[in-house]
Amino acid sequence: MSAIEVRGLVKVYDHKVRALDGVSLDVEEGTVHALLGPNGAGKTTLIRVITTQLRPNEGSAKVFGYDVVKNSSKVRELIGYVPQEVSLWSDLSGYENILIYSKIYGIPRELRSRKIEELLDFMELSEASRRLVRTYSGGMIRRLEIAIALMRSPKLLILDEPTIGLDPGARSLVWDKISEFRRENGVTVFFATHYMDEADKYADYVTLLNQGRVVAHGTPNDLKKHVKGNKVLVFFKGSVDNSRLSEIVSGIPGVSISNLGNDHVELVVDDIPTKLPKILEEVFVKGYSVSEVEVREASLDEVFIKLTGRRITEESGRIKEVVSMRKMIRRGG
Amino acid sequence: MRSMKLASLASMAEMELRRLRHDPFEILTRAVQPILWIAVFGSVMARIRAFQNVGDYVTFITPGVILQSSTFISLAYGIALIFERESGILKKLLTSPIPRSYIVVGRALAGGIRASTQYVIVLVSAVAVGARISGNPLNLITGYLILVLACMGFTGLSILIASLLRTRERFMGIIGAITMPLFFASNALYPIEVMPDVIKYISLANPLTYTVSALRKLLVSSSYDVLQETLILTCFTALSLGVAIKSLRRIIE
Repeated sequence: MSAIEVRGLVKVYDHKVRALDGVSLDVEEGTVHALLGPNGAGKTTLIRVITTQLRPNEGSAKVFGYDVVKNSSKVRELIGYVPQEVSLWSDLSGYENILIYSKIYGIPRELRSRKIEELLDFMELSEASRRLVRTYSGGMIRRLEIAIALMRSPKLLILDEPTIGLDPGARSLVWDKISEFRRENGVTVFFATHYMDEADKYADYVTLLNQGRVVAHGTPNDLKKHVKGNKVLVFFKGSVDNSRLSEIVSGIPGVSISNLGNDHVELVVDDIPTKLPKILEEVFVKGYSVSEVEVREASLDEVFIKLTGRRITEESGRIKEVVSMRKMIRRGG
Repeated sequence: MRSMKLASLASMAEMELRRLRHDPFEILTRAVQPILWIAVFGSVMARIRAFQNVGDYVTFITPGVILQSSTFISLAYGIALIFERESGILKKLLTSPIPRSYIVVGRALAGGIRASTQYVIVLVSAVAVGARISGNPLNLITGYLILVLACMGFTGLSILIASLLRTRERFMGIIGAITMPLFFASNALYPIEVMPDVIKYISLANPLTYTVSALRKLLVSSSYDVLQETLILTCFTALSLGVAIKSLRRIIE
């Protein structure tokens, strides 16, 4: 069953801006699915349609079979959602925020305090829970927001730029917690990001979005085939016999030659950590001596450039904006 | 289901009370002005006996002064929704299972509760300078509930204005521009009978007039004849919340 099924979705703002221009995608239940694209690609608009905040102009979106327009209240019961912007009251404590949301969500009184305690503990926020959110770091704010989104045990967790503006340590902690929760509860995760390394590392499937259209979708490895995958260059000491070089890799599956020089060979390799030792072993067995090995891992950014001519992560203006917003919230502005 | 929805309204009121507990600064600074109205303006005007048939002047204006500061707080409260639109709170509430109308009603209730804190502050300071206010708990509580009802209406109005203007600066400008006329074109400081005809008609269309009138009956004359005022205020609040709920759509997109 599809957790999300989107067909021909069009969203036009103010009769001018076509934020979504015929988007279709499927998110399989139980997977982690990334929506990757530069700022302004339409990621947030798509998420806001799926989370029943905006009505599309054309097309349809369904969450576990429920239409986001016709059955919006049913959809809202199934999802947990963390918007890109901070969704906490900065002048309340972390505990009070989760308490108020638990009451708004109608969590029964007898479950409430145990659930809050569990989630705060899980997100490593128990100690800070009595402090005002204004004093929280960006990573703490995000973890609390995710805790709030998980409170109703959603079947689908939707995150809009969950780690935007966070430092690498905070980013990986946020993802560790999401992964850990998923292992225990098997929730489907749909997230938007413009960090291609994050989509690559954490997502089972990736949809590339550009200017309101889906450019490509597939597993990260499938997508990398657009740029012919990862490359390994092996340089030899002295010149070598071209015809014999091709024999080197013929026996290793998932490795092929893309270019031959008189002192080097360029290989396309599907999985570098497991295949590189085999390649080198073969090279030594054949009696060649290697002077240098160069590894070029394919990135989703390259795929995106190949398909659209644009980079995903070209602007940092938006990130700065979010960070300064967080600072403002912390100051209580 | 119904009780769950009511609980979600109560939780927004609770949120507001918790915010007040953490930061009572606005409530305290906002109390300076009404205290001056009572202690300075009221005492001086009482001395010159400008109006006949109003009894003790400080007592007379106490309900009006309560409204002066609570109306301002409720009218300014809509800015919270603008801020929540810029932050993710509104998005989060829109995707929660509570009906959208409850977001507006809940926030209006929260605004009404924030504003009604002035009730206690002004009453205490008025009694301290000699105002004769009814001590009957039933009168005091009824008066408080009527004030919350009216302030919910003003908060609804504020949410509507906020949804039309969208920036803080414009919003605060408009609020500043309408608060004083609302106050002066009402029976807060002088009886309706002494007004020129034009202002008399304006004040009769001013919900503030009916709130002041109800509080005056309950707190000053210990009369329970407030049905008419309560009905008018209920209509005003229902209308203002209805329009505010409609305008929520505008805020979202």
